[in-house]
Amino acid sequence: MKKLDKERVLLAVAAPVLALAAAFVVTALVLLATGKEPFNAFGIMFDYGMKSDSQVYILNKATTYYLAGLAVAVGFRMNLFNIGVDGQYRLAAFFAAVVGGALKLPGLVQIPLIILVGMLVGAMWASIAGLLKVYRGVSEVISTIMLNSLAGILISYLLVDGRLADLDKQTNIVATDPLPSSSHFFTIPAGAGLDPIWGFIVVAALAGAGFWFLLGRTRFGFDLRAVGRSESAAQASGVNVRRMVLTSMVLSGAMAGLVGMPTLLNDTHQFTSDFPTGIGFTGIAIALLGRNNPVGIALAAVLWGFLERGANRLEFEGYDKEIVGVMQGVIVLCVVIAYELVRRYGLKRQQQRVGAELAAQASASKGTDKTEVPA
Amino acid sequence: MRRVSTIAVAGIATAALAFSVTACGSSSEEGSKDAGVGLAYDVGGRGDHSFNDSAAKGYDKALKDFDVKGKELTAKDGDTDADRYDKLASLAEAGYNPVIGVGYAWTPSLTKAAKKYKDTDFAIIDSVVDAKNVASLVSAEHEGSYLAGVAAGLKTKSDKVGFIGGTDSALIKKFAGGFQQGLKDTNPKASLDVQWVQVGSAKGFGMPDRGKDIAEGMLSNKVDVIFSAAGGSGAGAIEATAGKKGTWSIGVDGDQYYDKGLSQYKNSILTSMVKNVDGSVYDFIKSVVKDKKAESGVQSYDLKRGGVSLSYSGGFIDDIKPKIEAAKKKIIDGQIKVNDTYKD
Amino acid sequence: MRRGTVHALVGENGAGKSTLMKILYGMQRPDEGTIALDGESVELHSPADAISRGVGMVHQHFMLADNFTVLENVVLGAEKLHGISGRARARIKEISDAYGLGVRPDVLVEDLGVADRQRVEILKVLYRGARTLILDEPTAVLVPQEVDALFDNLRELKAEGLTVLFISHKLGEVLSVADDITVIRRGTTVASVVPSETSPRQLAELMVGSELPSPETRESTVTDTEMLVVDALRLTATDVDGVERAVLDDIGLTIRKGEVLGIAGVEGNGQAELVEAIMGMRDPDAGTITLDGADISHAPTRTRREDGIGYIPEDRHRHGLLLEAPLWENRILGHVTEEPNSRSGLLNPAAARRDTERIVTEYDVRTPGIEVTAASLSGGNQQKLIVGREMSHHPKLLIAAHPTRGVDVGAQAQIWDQIRAARREGLAVLLISADLDELIGLSDTLRVMYRGRLVADADPATITPEELGSAMTGAASGHLEHPAEAGSEAATGAGAATGGEDR
Repeated sequence: MKKLDKERVLLAVAAPVLALAAAFVVTALVLLATGKEPFNAFGIMFDYGMKSDSQVYILNKATTYYLAGLAVAVGFRMNLFNIGVDGQYRLAAFFAAVVGGALKLPGLVQIPLIILVGMLVGAMWASIAGLLKVYRGVSEVISTIMLNSLAGILISYLLVDGRLADLDKQTNIVATDPLPSSSHFFTIPAGAGLDPIWGFIVVAALAGAGFWFLLGRTRFGFDLRAVGRSESAAQASGVNVRRMVLTSMVLSGAMAGLVGMPTLLNDTHQFTSDFPTGIGFTGIAIALLGRNNPVGIALAAVLWGFLERGANRLEFEGYDKEIVGVMQGVIVLCVVIAYELVRRYGLKRQQQRVGAELAAQASASKGTDKTEVPA
Repeated sequence: MRRVSTIAVAGIATAALAFSVTACGSSSEEGSKDAGVGLAYDVGGRGDHSFNDSAAKGYDKALKDFDVKGKELTAKDGDTDADRYDKLASLAEAGYNPVIGVGYAWTPSLTKAAKKYKDTDFAIIDSVVDAKNVASLVSAEHEGSYLAGVAAGLKTKSDKVGFIGGTDSALIKKFAGGFQQGLKDTNPKASLDVQWVQVGSAKGFGMPDRGKDIAEGMLSNKVDVIFSAAGGSGAGAIEATAGKKGTWSIGVDGDQYYDKGLSQYKNSILTSMVKNVDGSVYDFIKSVVKDKKAESGVQSYDLKRGGVSLSYSGGFIDDIKPKIEAAKKKIIDGQIKVNDTYKD
Repeated sequence: MRRGTVHALVGENGAGKSTLMKILYGMQRPDEGTIALDGESVELHSPADAISRGVGMVHQHFMLADNFTVLENVVLGAEKLHGISGRARARIKEISDAYGLGVRPDVLVEDLGVADRQRVEILKVLYRGARTLILDEPTAVLVPQEVDALFDNLRELKAEGLTVLFISHKLGEVLSVADDITVIRRGTTVASVVPSETSPRQLAELMVGSELPSPETRESTVTDTEMLVVDALRLTATDVDGVERAVLDDIGLTIRKGEVLGIAGVEGNGQAELVEAIMGMRDPDAGTITLDGADISHAPTRTRREDGIGYIPEDRHRHGLLLEAPLWENRILGHVTEEPNSRSGLLNPAAARRDTERIVTEYDVRTPGIEVTAASLSGGNQQKLIVGREMSHHPKLLIAAHPTRGVDVGAQAQIWDQIRAARREGLAVLLISADLDELIGLSDTLRVMYRGRLVADADPATITPEELGSAMTGAASGHLEHPAEAGSEAATGAGAATGGEDR
């Protein structure tokens, strides 16, 4: 038992380590091909990434990425590809900002309300794709991609001076009414002269714990994972697969609704026309990298933040800023390949062990068997 | 056993992060102020044949004229304010002065950076940041667009005119609003078809094929003059009008008649609504580097100051020059007040 | 193995037959030892390697593309040999005629029956130039008449100088077709025998290493309490052409406590659909299903399971297991709402693990631990785990679809024992099997299913496998008494097909 577990842990760690190592080698080759010295670049990234203000930046970025990774992972766990996290979180953040800007309740009431609105909107938007899949057999990949587009159009229709937003004629920025300062989320001071750490990191950690508990410790989670592993076996075991598709889509959407919240509640305090986009897609990469595991996703989110921080610096040092994009892409590819390799290897090892075990049993009872064999 | 180790890993990772925040030294120290000019482009950067290139032109000229060094950074798609701030802060910290943010998207990050780096002179284009060490370089695009509207109103034969905006942002609506007003004041019979390349996303500034599709759609509806305020997507519209006799394009930002990439279509470029971002960038750098007296506050580059203008390159609108000049005078004198937004 | 012979390989599941096959076919590498082909020592690195040396394999699960024609399936992946049209067709015809396979090259594979598909598989291998054929349990899916036809084909192949390696659990068949027999147990050869010098019983005892079980159950435990009543059940499905047809038509049956009802039939005649309707995986269009007095016609699957239906599915990989999940999670599957797996919505992994250990011990699941994935167990051990899981919840009704398919003799005996033991305690069992000996031996009542209808019934005490086999092909209906009457009764019995002694 113990030996088995040790090997499992080793195998689990082997994949990401292998992938990262391969990614660094490939990136180094790319850097060499562009005529730059690769180790200097890695050195710059590392030095800069370890600075204290970089750490605050990385943690804050990772908070958002973590939530995005979780939202995608909920779907992945049951073989649903929610590509629509991107649209879900933007729409959710938008309506949450509108509601938050319109009300002036005490923070203790209003902050949960804003978060709830976000989760609800995200869930509703995702449920469209869920309903389409369940009742019309539309692939969620297609429908969520389209819904991303629709979310963008809906936001830009509503985010117009006089509709749900105001235009600042001086800055040309269209934004929703700012949240009252009582609705700003708490922050954790990181030290003198540093930006504070967003308090939403606590919510993200709770969401991660909730994710782990729901999937690993509840009947519902078991059913969800069963569907992900084998839809037919899950159905035979009594899971209502269609309802499960819908439920997990809604869950994924609700989680996606949280993605924009750290930015909204801790940073911008309003939804502007340049609210960050594309985080949903980053979430896919992070969920892949983190193996849909809450701890893995956290590490992946931090790594991602670190790489982006490094990218900013690399550009300043005269490297092509695209190199980090290349690195991120290569990491994801390597991870997918490495996981598959390690998975196959693990399966083979296990089969060998089962065989060895049986052979051992056989040889133990061989003496007695032989006598029974008739000539 | 497995469960325990998972929790342990999580705990160690969290603890390590928490400790390391305080463990390392801060990276923020302000150095000397003579490293040169720092320029931060908006998404697209140098080479976009449009807005960013216009700023680059002024920057290049200033670097040559005043013999200073410089550093250019570019925002990328999906950058948050924290990313943008990081770029500005890097420039300021490394001693670049002045530091210029090209585009209104730099507003929040530049506001923050200006507060932190009080000894650095900042400038922002197309937006207003209210701080002592910031010059806000804004242009009156609507005024220039009004003149483009006048030209379109006089040149259209079908009384159908089109406007293609890169995206439905407030800034682009400034172009559309002025254009519409100029058109209606000149030719009340003319109808205006307004379309956006990509609603809600700055990607609409880099989709020439979409621009061409939209323009071709308009042309098939008998539109014969199209004004594109759509960055790189405008090139597609220009290509479309070049493919149909008797139809015109109106360029934007730079004088696109002289754009090398568009030279084969230049005979269908009626005129361009020139926004002299290069001039405002050059002026600002000059004020810091040469005059040692940095511009600050709102620097309005309007018709009067020559910040926007209508080009006569190619001579296609020479015949209506008097009428355009008359309209220009009225705007400068304040007789005409131009709309700075578009409503449908 | 000698050239031009049929050599049979028999052994329990997990004895190493599949592993040996994989090594011979180049899918796995041996740690030690050598393979000699035509006196020459060879190393096979891949199936392609094996094919190039004239070794071909027909898998237990057919590997054919349904929507392709026979010709297309045969040339797929071997386009270089004889092109893809004229020459290929000529070659197929040639092989088919030479060995009496009777394959029609332009029929879609989806229109073929199981036996025809198997012939296509064999042809596929021959087309690639195989001189040595490996057949993995080729008779598992065939009815007796089809088995005979297959054996004729094998004899034909043998006569042409080809060598056949034949794997089977059915010892009678092995004895009738093989020239030599090798018995392996737990990874080693325990005996090499010649058919003329041995009997099925001896062979089986060699395989298990102990006394042989038999499926016979003669003392009746049938009670009067009705456990499952299915009445006028009808289920329709729309096929690919959009035509609606009934896959289950007017099905009526009753199983009492302590009764085993066996359903015979060639696969694809509605047995799978009947099981799925009773399990709640398909919603019937008409008719009722009553379990222990409660109407469950439209209840969700989970409710039915909680109400006491145990399910040993036909395809354990698709319906019975999460292959990539550890054994203890598989123990939870299907019973997630029940003790000891969970309590008030929360899983109880510790209890589930403990109970898995118990099942592993009690049901002799051979595994190094409960953390290994289900996929790494051999088929028989997977099945024992499923049986153990379903029995652990003391079902009122057990649906056992091919409970011993692909399971070795030892495990087979255990599974039969467990079904019998539970039956004595009042379990009602719906048994579906292609193994007619098992059906006849285990059942208290027999019904024959043909084209979605229950067309005939029989008394397991008097019926022979041959009679049952002919009824399964639709040749007979009504109550099957004696072979002579079976044919003539067909016309009159059809209308009274619903009548039977169990009603």
